[in-house]
Amino acid sequence: MSTRDRFLLSIAALVVIQVVSSVPASGQDVGSRATRLASAGWTVRVADRPGGGGAAVGQAGRGRAGGPSTPAGPIPRTPDGKPDLTGRWNGSGGVLHNTVILEEHPGGFGVQAGKTLIIEPPDGIIPYQPWALAERNRRRDDANGYEDQVGHCEFYEVGRLASFAHDIMYSGGNVIINHTQHITRVIDMNRREHLPQGIRLWLGDPIGRWEGDTLVVDTTNLNGKGRMALGGDFYSSDAHLVERFAMVNSNTFNWTLTITDPKVFTRPWTMTSAVPMTRERQGGESFDTEDSCHEGNVDLVHLKNVYDQAHGNGGAVKWPPEYVQGPGPGQTR
Amino acid sequence: MPIPLRERVLTLLIGAVAVAAIADSVSAPLTAQAPAGVQAYAPPRTAAGHPDLQGVWRAWNLAKFDLEDHGAKPGVPAGRGFVVDPPDGKIPYQPWALEKRRQNVARTKETDPYKNADPLAKCYLPGIPRLTYLGWPFQIIQTPQYVAFNYEWSHKKRYVPVTSVAAPPAPDDQSNWNGIPRGRFDGNALVVNLANFNGYTWFDMAGNFHSDALRVVERYTPINADTLQYEATMEDAKVFTRPWTIRMVLQRQKDVGILDYECTAMLDEMGIHHTWPRDFDVVQ
Repeated sequence: MSTRDRFLLSIAALVVIQVVSSVPASGQDVGSRATRLASAGWTVRVADRPGGGGAAVGQAGRGRAGGPSTPAGPIPRTPDGKPDLTGRWNGSGGVLHNTVILEEHPGGFGVQAGKTLIIEPPDGIIPYQPWALAERNRRRDDANGYEDQVGHCEFYEVGRLASFAHDIMYSGGNVIINHTQHITRVIDMNRREHLPQGIRLWLGDPIGRWEGDTLVVDTTNLNGKGRMALGGDFYSSDAHLVERFAMVNSNTFNWTLTITDPKVFTRPWTMTSAVPMTRERQGGESFDTEDSCHEGNVDLVHLKNVYDQAHGNGGAVKWPPEYVQGPGPGQTR
Repeated sequence: MPIPLRERVLTLLIGAVAVAAIADSVSAPLTAQAPAGVQAYAPPRTAAGHPDLQGVWRAWNLAKFDLEDHGAKPGVPAGRGFVVDPPDGKIPYQPWALEKRRQNVARTKETDPYKNADPLAKCYLPGIPRLTYLGWPFQIIQTPQYVAFNYEWSHKKRYVPVTSVAAPPAPDDQSNWNGIPRGRFDGNALVVNLANFNGYTWFDMAGNFHSDALRVVERYTPINADTLQYEATMEDAKVFTRPWTIRMVLQRQKDVGILDYECTAMLDEMGIHHTWPRDFDVVQ
């Protein structure tokens, strides 16, 4: 797969940004947006292959695996009796609405309709404080899509990761979760105290423990820069995340994420994955796809131009003439 | 004002590396020579029977600046090189390639990342072996089927299958920044054969480079509980007159695990938009 091929995968993510911003918040003129997409030469592609939830942003490639290869059996265990979660998992259900919008939403424009992933509170609505809801909706606006890190080939947020294939490994006192693209987490199972407050990280400081057969991962020390979905959902650097990985059988575990952040929400809330985490086959050839994305990200310039025009920054990014390959010197691309 | 910001971020990126290297050179073995007794140490074994190389490792040395012997430059301490073969310590470039390296060096003085020739200035995947000695720690994780490398630098990772019988991609797939790996254990060592590289990565900040004909053999050998000997042999008939080998040690890091260093996000935060044209498919 060439750099350009891989880059096309990232384009799909950019398109989703554009598309989702038309879903519930603003009631904008989606016709003009579709025209804009078409004029930019983009095609809307959303991963809909079974078991391939990461297809639009990175995991597509040689030897992608499908669903579980063997029937479900009892919970496998390591020599010390703990559930063995090692292997490759995917909770997307084969679609990407999990990364697009977390609450219930209608379909259209390349985004599948989805039920809410919020299981607490029971109404399925994220309990934002008023200022935070306004900020979420501002981020969701089409004109601000450039702000989302996904278009920049950056995917840093814990909740967002649940919709992509990920590998779980055990090593020494660590549980390692490697997600599609360059997202990795090393969960310290021995440490009981978090790192000093001064160390702030995109994915926070995860420490883990076992409660019976459930792996509980507790994360603080976040930097507050990540976004939970293309639809603008967020929390602050004060957030406290608790994930629970509850194994059901050899091919399935249930994952939940509870977020407590008094700065942003009126109460703690809990989300889950679109479907229970399901085992996928994991094999040598499926590793032959590397984490490139930024390297071929030639079309971020389009989102930047949309952003600049909407914000009165005089419009287009101008490339220096010596770098312009296709359009004439000084033109935007 | 994008240009001043770009200058600032480049200074930041290079300066951070320099400071780290200087600060830690006190405890760093700067010699390129391997300690004696490489085969004397018997590392623990994993449940699968493989040598256990797991843990957090880091190259505390000057290789990131220049793989050859070099004098001091702004932000760069003078130091010994790491080329152990050929014995003169010099990378065996073909004449045209030596000139290309000279041009590369000249273009590293550009403060604007998208004019700077060093791919690292743009936060592109550094390639192998550069990612090993870039200066940030990385964690090795082993399963019976593969060895995972999780790097702190931009959360990058790679998987080296060690039991795979799958053939690597055809040689004309020359699109991978880090190459396509196939691994095996040889005695106590993990040996990684890499091919299918693209021609866009460098070996260090001194303009040392290769083409898409590059093939690399890495060898990670535990020499005591807290030290890996790292060797990499490079072969590239388009650029070099013969294969050449570097050798250094990697030290176990015990204080804290890998954290994060999001290079591309730092560009954003310094006001450098990633909107420069990518010319990989047009210009070599």
